Amino acid sequence: MAVRGKDRIRAKLQDGDTLVRILLAHPMHTGRGEDAQGKLIDAEFIQDIRCWRNDKEVLTIKCGTATSRNPFFAFQLKGGVRGDVITLRWVDNTGAKGRAETEVQ
Amino acid sequence: MNEQFDAARRYWLKRGVSATTIAMVAASGLLLPRQLLAHWPRDAYSAKTVEDALLALLGEADLIDDDAIYFSVGSPPTYAVNGATVPVEINSTLKNIEHIALLVEKNPSPLAMSFVPNDDVMLPFKTMLKVAEDSDMLAVIRAEGKLYVTRRYVEIDIGGCA
Repeated sequence: MAVRGKDRIRAKLQDGDTLVRILLAHPMHTGRGEDAQGKLIDAEFIQDIRCWRNDKEVLTIKCGTATSRNPFFAFQLKGGVRGDVITLRWVDNTGAKGRAETEVQ
Repeated sequence: MNEQFDAARRYWLKRGVSATTIAMVAASGLLLPRQLLAHWPRDAYSAKTVEDALLALLGEADLIDDDAIYFSVGSPPTYAVNGATVPVEINSTLKNIEHIALLVEKNPSPLAMSFVPNDDVMLPFKTMLKVAEDSDMLAVIRAEGKLYVTRRYVEIDIGGCA
């Protein structure tokens, strides 16, 4: 299972725009990898990530199995002020969910 | 005696009805998390070739090779030691971007990631992907009904698709 409570999200102002960096804690098994005993590990990967700024949805990411372990994303949002709330939710193929939230620094 | 029998019958009738209702709701999939994932494009992500994946994800459109997409793979560029974490950066001068997709040609399922930015999102977008072997990578942007595509070749030391 995914490690809970380790999703990290940082947002800061940079030249008037908001730079968002996301690091999720997730093993992202593709279903093709083997464990130490040579048994296949079941697929378990994040499929859907959605991102909000102050209740307005800004970005939807759909991931396939080729997203690396502990997925990392970085992008910028136009404008923004200190104290904006950036929220993120993800769902994986087993139905596990995660949520992370931060204020723009 | 009769009354007692009646009460018992009522009890079991009620039980039966609610059990059936629950079973029906469960069967309809309303209680399953799968419902949440209805929008995940399964066909596109399980496609085995780049063409099939793009067709399933973005529909029919002419591919236009374009320099308006800045696409960098690996660090240093075109090379990555570990295929499990290949850094990818995508930027573009195109306006009205509707959809962006990243594909790795020789992965078992080429489509790696796709995302839909709204007007507030500015590129560059950075992320990390798994790449199984030396392969072309494609960045595809749909903007104003056209598909723009850029290719980059990346060399991998250790394949990373486990």
